[in-house]
Amino acid sequence: MSELIKSLQEAILTIDEETALRVTQELLDAGTEPEEILESGMTEALLELGRRWNCGEAFLPEVVAAAGIFERCSQLVEPALMAKADRKVSDKAVIATVKGDLHDLGKNIVGAMLKTVGLEVHDLGKNVPTEKIIEAVKELQPKIIGLSALLTTTMPEQEKVIKALEEAGLRADVKVMVGGAPVTQEWADRIGADGYAPNAPEAVRVALELTQVAA
Amino acid sequence: MTPKAPSIRSLPRTLQANALTSEALEAVHDQTLTVLEKVGVGVGGEAMCRALAEAGAEVDLSAKRVRFPREMVEEALDRAPRSYTLAARVPDFDLAIDGQHSYLAVDGCAAEILDHETGQRRSSTKKDLGMAMRLADALPEIGVLWQPMSARDAPRESQSLHELHAQFTNSGKHIQMMTAVTPGVARGVVEIARVVAGGSEALRKRPIISAFECSLSPLMYEDGALEAAQVYADAGVPCGFVVMPISCATGPATAAGTLVQSNAEVLAGITALQALVPGASTFYGSCATVMDLRSGAAACGGPEDLYLQMASAQLARHYGLPSAIGTFATGSKTPDWQAGLENGLSGLASVLAGADMMCGAGLLFGARVYSLAEMVLDAEIFNLLHYLTDSSAMSLSDSIAEVIESVGPGGHYLSDKHTLENMRQQWMPKLFDRLSWEDWESAGQPGPQELANERVRSLLSTHEPPPLDDGVEDEILRIIDAFERGDGGNEDE
Repeated sequence: MSELIKSLQEAILTIDEETALRVTQELLDAGTEPEEILESGMTEALLELGRRWNCGEAFLPEVVAAAGIFERCSQLVEPALMAKADRKVSDKAVIATVKGDLHDLGKNIVGAMLKTVGLEVHDLGKNVPTEKIIEAVKELQPKIIGLSALLTTTMPEQEKVIKALEEAGLRADVKVMVGGAPVTQEWADRIGADGYAPNAPEAVRVALELTQVAA
Repeated sequence: MTPKAPSIRSLPRTLQANALTSEALEAVHDQTLTVLEKVGVGVGGEAMCRALAEAGAEVDLSAKRVRFPREMVEEALDRAPRSYTLAARVPDFDLAIDGQHSYLAVDGCAAEILDHETGQRRSSTKKDLGMAMRLADALPEIGVLWQPMSARDAPRESQSLHELHAQFTNSGKHIQMMTAVTPGVARGVVEIARVVAGGSEALRKRPIISAFECSLSPLMYEDGALEAAQVYADAGVPCGFVVMPISCATGPATAAGTLVQSNAEVLAGITALQALVPGASTFYGSCATVMDLRSGAAACGGPEDLYLQMASAQLARHYGLPSAIGTFATGSKTPDWQAGLENGLSGLASVLAGADMMCGAGLLFGARVYSLAEMVLDAEIFNLLHYLTDSSAMSLSDSIAEVIESVGPGGHYLSDKHTLENMRQQWMPKLFDRLSWEDWESAGQPGPQELANERVRSLLSTHEPPPLDDGVEDEILRIIDAFERGDGGNEDE
């Protein structure tokens, strides 16, 4: 592994965004394969953070911040990556906070944690209408979608999304997991979701289980 | 290789509250001096009575009653030093008793242990005592070691010496003797401490043990108690007085009334000691409580206790004396809601009142049963208080308005630079349950007892106490053996 790749990993792990972006650019300028930057540099750093998380050494703010840096480095690498026809595709996850709900902190944490296990996470944001989620599923063909709701009044939106997936004939192609403070396993079962997690670390376990079943 | 035990954590004196107004404090002081002058205290030993008469007390020899004139008490308070070091066998564990720190003491002396492996309550042994000391050695929150439970399998006459042996071999921390209450046993204790410290002068210079004597409430010092205090003071070992009256039984019915009697008992001990050994290091101790009116048991943990803790520590501060205040020692039988509530409030009361030593970690059932699980739970409470009193953790940085501005309304702090730089200051509990409901269920719904037991096992499985120097343990055993054969505890100086 090159020194530059190593310093990219280090910059992500120490939450040094400035260095991470500079090193990513240097790697691209030096003609490094974009896959190598993405996999050996950026993804490997997040996987290492995931290992540290499992040992109790890393905390939520670090994971979220590292995932943010990962996102901005990706934007640099993406043009080079898209230019290649034979690029390797990882499993995708689409996440969103459902319509009517502006609480996206939990969803952001889940998104960050999912990246630490190598999933390609597409975050649609908060207050996301059902139609937009359906469009994203059609376009991105994710293995799994995660729907977050913090309010008892927005929880029913999770059910609406599942119904809409059925109506669009997409339900069999994608696993659905739900979360949020008022959400329970019982609710998940009732609305026909495939998975439920009470917190972000558990969401990672559930997502891995579901994507492996789907594979 | 033996892992180094972590340094001792103390609470800085950053927060303070007074239970007594200055008028109330003056009234307590005044009534105390009246009690000492008019009623006095019973003193068991005739020679001690004569010595105190010689020193200025009014003594009725036939009744063995010693009354202290006001000036004698005030002179004693002037003589007693405010600050000194309670040294430890391992110098890293030395404690500065300087009015700026509060330390946690393993309290005693229970007669039974709640076995953390079997969950059964049974008679305590020397081995149990050693295990408790090894656990205390591993916990950074623990600074002072009383004898938390009796070595009931040791011979009765030499029991204190066996307890001290178990303590020295299992911890490098400062030991405070509570069970050596006759001059003969006190001499045995001093002899052992000298061997460990490296001689009489070494012990005088670095007192690795201290001691205290208890009054027999109301207003009695049994034959031997003051004599033992004198043995310690003569050897340069700090010796305090800790009183344990029970309101409605061995103290007046009102908390304030019990406070006056407690104060009189402590000041009587200190006045006697300063008359006999001027300038001796001493301290002001109280574990006062109330009697439960239905069961007759010592309550240990109600609002009266909180008041008595705070008022006693305040009196000690007023007199310029270090204090040892009964803290924790819940009346509950298991580490449950009652234990957590009583000990949480009790810990807060003692730290706000400015206690130098907070005594009580690990006791259940009003100090009658010892629990290793409770010791780690009390250490957790102390640790929480450590964060509360740590001014660096709670201080405001100049630029916080800029941080708030940069996040702005509706933003979040989750991955903010300021969060990443400061989040590790946050208190991380070891024993609080913050699991998700599902994780808690799959872990078997552990309560505080189970979580604490697990930590006890983990600490005991890894922690090795700092060893004694070569030959020292043999010498301790030789002293105990000689004591048991009847030729120990001689006046050797």
